[in-house]
Amino acid sequence: MVFSSLLFLFFYLPAVLLVYYLVPGKWRNLWLFAVNLVFYGWGEPVYVLLMVFSIAVNYAAGRLVAAHRRKGRLILALNAVINLGLLFFFKYYDFLAGTFGLPVLGLSLPIGISFYTFQNMSYPIDVYRGDAEEQRSFIRYGTYVALFPQLIAGPIVRYKDIARQLTERKETLEQFASGALRFCAGLAKKVLLANNIGALWDVYKALDPASLSAADAWLGAVAFTFQIYFDFSGYSDMAIGLGRMLGFDFVENFNYPYISKSVTEFWRRWHVSLSTWFRDYVYIPLGGNRKGKGRQLLNLLIVWCLTGIWHGASWNFLLWGLYYAILLILEKLFLYDRLRKAPAWLGHVYALILVIIGWVLFSVEDLPSCALYLRSMFFGGGGLISGTTLYYLRSFGPSLVIMVFAATPLPKKIFERLPEGAGRILRPVLTLCGLLLSTAYLVDSSYNPFLYFRF
Amino acid sequence: MKKQSFSALPTVLCFALVIALGLILHLSFADRDYSENENRYLAQAPRFTLKALFSGGFTADFEDYITDQFPFRDSWLDVKSRAERLSGKTENNGVFFGKDDTLISRFPQPEEKSITAGIAAVNALRENTGIPVVFALVPSAAEVWKDRLPASADTADQAALIRRIYEGVDAATVDMLSALSSHASEDIYYRTDHHWTTLGAYYGYAATAEALGLTPQPKESFRPVTVSDSFFGTVYSSSGVRWVKPDTMERWVPDSGVTLTRYDSPEGTVSPVYDESRLEVKDKYSYYLGGNVSRAVIETGHGGGKLLVLRDSYADCELPFFFAHYAEIHVLDLRYFRQSVSEYTSGEDFDAILVSYSLSDFLSDPAVALMGT
Repeated sequence: MVFSSLLFLFFYLPAVLLVYYLVPGKWRNLWLFAVNLVFYGWGEPVYVLLMVFSIAVNYAAGRLVAAHRRKGRLILALNAVINLGLLFFFKYYDFLAGTFGLPVLGLSLPIGISFYTFQNMSYPIDVYRGDAEEQRSFIRYGTYVALFPQLIAGPIVRYKDIARQLTERKETLEQFASGALRFCAGLAKKVLLANNIGALWDVYKALDPASLSAADAWLGAVAFTFQIYFDFSGYSDMAIGLGRMLGFDFVENFNYPYISKSVTEFWRRWHVSLSTWFRDYVYIPLGGNRKGKGRQLLNLLIVWCLTGIWHGASWNFLLWGLYYAILLILEKLFLYDRLRKAPAWLGHVYALILVIIGWVLFSVEDLPSCALYLRSMFFGGGGLISGTTLYYLRSFGPSLVIMVFAATPLPKKIFERLPEGAGRILRPVLTLCGLLLSTAYLVDSSYNPFLYFRF
Repeated sequence: MKKQSFSALPTVLCFALVIALGLILHLSFADRDYSENENRYLAQAPRFTLKALFSGGFTADFEDYITDQFPFRDSWLDVKSRAERLSGKTENNGVFFGKDDTLISRFPQPEEKSITAGIAAVNALRENTGIPVVFALVPSAAEVWKDRLPASADTADQAALIRRIYEGVDAATVDMLSALSSHASEDIYYRTDHHWTTLGAYYGYAATAEALGLTPQPKESFRPVTVSDSFFGTVYSSSGVRWVKPDTMERWVPDSGVTLTRYDSPEGTVSPVYDESRLEVKDKYSYYLGGNVSRAVIETGHGGGKLLVLRDSYADCELPFFFAHYAEIHVLDLRYFRQSVSEYTSGEDFDAILVSYSLSDFLSDPAVALMGT
C-alpha cells in the first residue's frame, strides 16, 4: 500500500487510528503489528511471509546475543549471512546471473527489503554493543521492524533510537496535530510537486538522449533532481508525521540538501538515516578515520560502493556510488577547505551541478544512454535549445519556481516569523488545503510511483 | 500546558474529519455504474477470492474501485484540471487547452510496426479482393488546427505520417489534409470531441468523391439542420476540463427514402439513419447511423452502384453524403466483423472499396490488420 493513495488516506488510516485510540495502551502494539502486516501484505501478499521470517531471525539473534555474549560475534556473523544472503538473493542474484550468463530467476523485488533488512540488522548489533537492551516480546520487536510508516521507504530507524518508545510512549494531542500537519505537507510534496515534475522527466526520459538539445537535457535533469527530492523527502515527512500520530518520534531524514555548499555537506543533509547506518555499522567498524589516511580513504571507497549498490542492482548505481566516493575523497583531501574559504555562491553552484550530474548517473540506468545524455547536457546533441524546451519551460515554469522555493528553508522561516495567532490558524488551514488538493490529484491519478520503493 | 493541548484540537479535528468523511461518504453513496461525464463504465467492487488476493489482482481492482467510486469524483476532477491551468499548464491528461475553447488531444508518435502493419493491410486488401481501393486517412485536429494549440505543443507530425503511409500503399489516396487545412478557419472539428463535424465531413466527402470518380454535390445544395447544441464529446471527458461551452451538431443530408439495416444479429434490424434517441444521452455522436455495429447495409433509393466502406466512426457523419451516388452502401467495422473481407466481397459486386479511417485509429486499432483477410 502507498501513503499517497485514496485507499490509504480514506480507508486504512482512519480505521487504524480509530481502533488504535479506542483500545487500551497495552493492546496498541499488537494492533499495530497486525495492521502492519495488512499494509505490507496488501501489495505483497506472498512476501509478507519473507518479512515475518526476517523479523523472527533477527529477534532470535538479538536474544541469543544477549544470552551468550561471549559468542556474540559468531552469532552476529551468522545473522549477517542470513540477512545479507536474503537481500542478495532477491535483489542482486538476477543482476549477477545476467552478467555471468547464469539462468535468471525473474523474481520480483520484495518491496522495502533493503530498508527492513538494514533496520533488522541494527538490533542484534545494538544489543551486542550494549547500546540497547534485548527485546523479549516478539510482537513488540515485530511492531518496530514492520512499523508501517517507515516500513518500505525509511527513514531507517535504528533499534536503539526507538527501543524505549516501543514500551513507554505517550500519545498527546499536540504531537498528533504536528504529525497530521507534517503528514499533509509530505503528501503535498509527493502528489503536487514530485508527481507533477516527474511527468516532465518522463517526457525527456522517453526521448533519444543523443539528439536532445543542451537546454532540454538540463531541464530533464533538473526535473528529476526535484522529483527525487520531493518524492523521497515527502515520503519521509509522511512517515515521520504518521509516526507522531501514533506517538513515535522518528529521526529526521532530510535537511534541505539542495542548499548545500559542498558534496560533503549534501551527504550530511540527504537521506541522513542511511548515511548514519553506514557510518555506524560499516565505516566505523572498518576503522573509520582512526587507522591512517590511506585506510580512511579505502573505507570511504568501500562505504560508497556499498551505498551505490544498495540503491539498486545495476552498474549505474555502482558508478553513482563511485562518483560520490571520488568527490568525497577529493573534498576530504583538499577541496572542502578551499570551498569553505570561497564565496558562498560558488559552493552552491559547485554542489548543485555535481548533484544534478549525479542524478543523471542515477536515473538513466543504461550506461551508453547515460553517457549520451551527459554529452547532450554539455555539448548539445540537438543544438542549444529547442521548441520542446520552450513549451515545457512555459508549462512547468511556475511549478519550478515553487519547487526552488520549497526546497529551501524559506517557507519554514516565513511561518516561524508570522505573528503567533496568524500562524496558528494559517498553518492548519493551508495544510488542509494541501490535503484536499492532493486528494483531487489522486482521484485523477494516472501517475503515482514511489521512486524509493525499488530499493 | 493545558492551554496548549487545546490549541491543537482544531487541527486534529479537521484532519480526522476529512479522512473520516471519505470513508463515511463512500459507504453512504450507492456505487455508480457509468460516468456520463467521463463516458466510461466505472470499476465495481471486486469479488474477494483467495486466488485473486495472492495474485495481487484483488488489491489492484479494489484500489481502482475506490478511485472510480470516490464521492464527488466529478468535482475533484474539475478541481484538478483547474489547478493545472492555474499552475501554468496548457494541457491536462494529454489534452491541450487550445484557443477558442478548443480541447485537442495530443497525437502520440506511433510505433514503427503499426505503420508498416497498416500499409501491409491495405495492400493485402487490394490483392485479395481485386476491387479498386480508395484510401482516406483523416488527420486529427492537432494537425489541422495547429494554430489553436499552445505554442510549440509537443505532438506528432501527422502530415509526415500520412505521407509515409500513402507512399507505401497501392491504392488511390485522398489528400484529406489539404482538403481540411484549406478550411481550417471554419468549424470543421468539434471543440470538445475527437471527431470532425458534419462540415468537416463534407470537405472530406468532396475530396473522396473525386478519388472515386464522382462529381461531388456542391455545398450550397444542402440545408444544414442543427440537431443538438449541448454536445460534450470524448475529449471533454478525458480532459477533465469543465469550463468550455458545448458543441453544436448538424445534419445536412435528409434521410427520406433511405433504409439502414444494422446487423447486430444475423437477421438484421431496420434502424433510423439518424438515431434521435442518441441525442438524449452523453454519446451524441452515435446519432449518425446509430453508432458502432459490425455490419450495416444502406439502401439509398437512388440509382448507381455498390460501395463497400471499411471505416471507423469518422465515416458515420460523412457517409450520408454518398447516398446520392450509390444504390447500396455496405459498412463494415472490423473491430466487430468476424468474417474475412475477401469472402464478403466475393459474394457481392462492389464497384469500389472505400477505406476511411482517422489516422489515429488506423495506427492504434489492431483490427485494421483484418482488412487483409
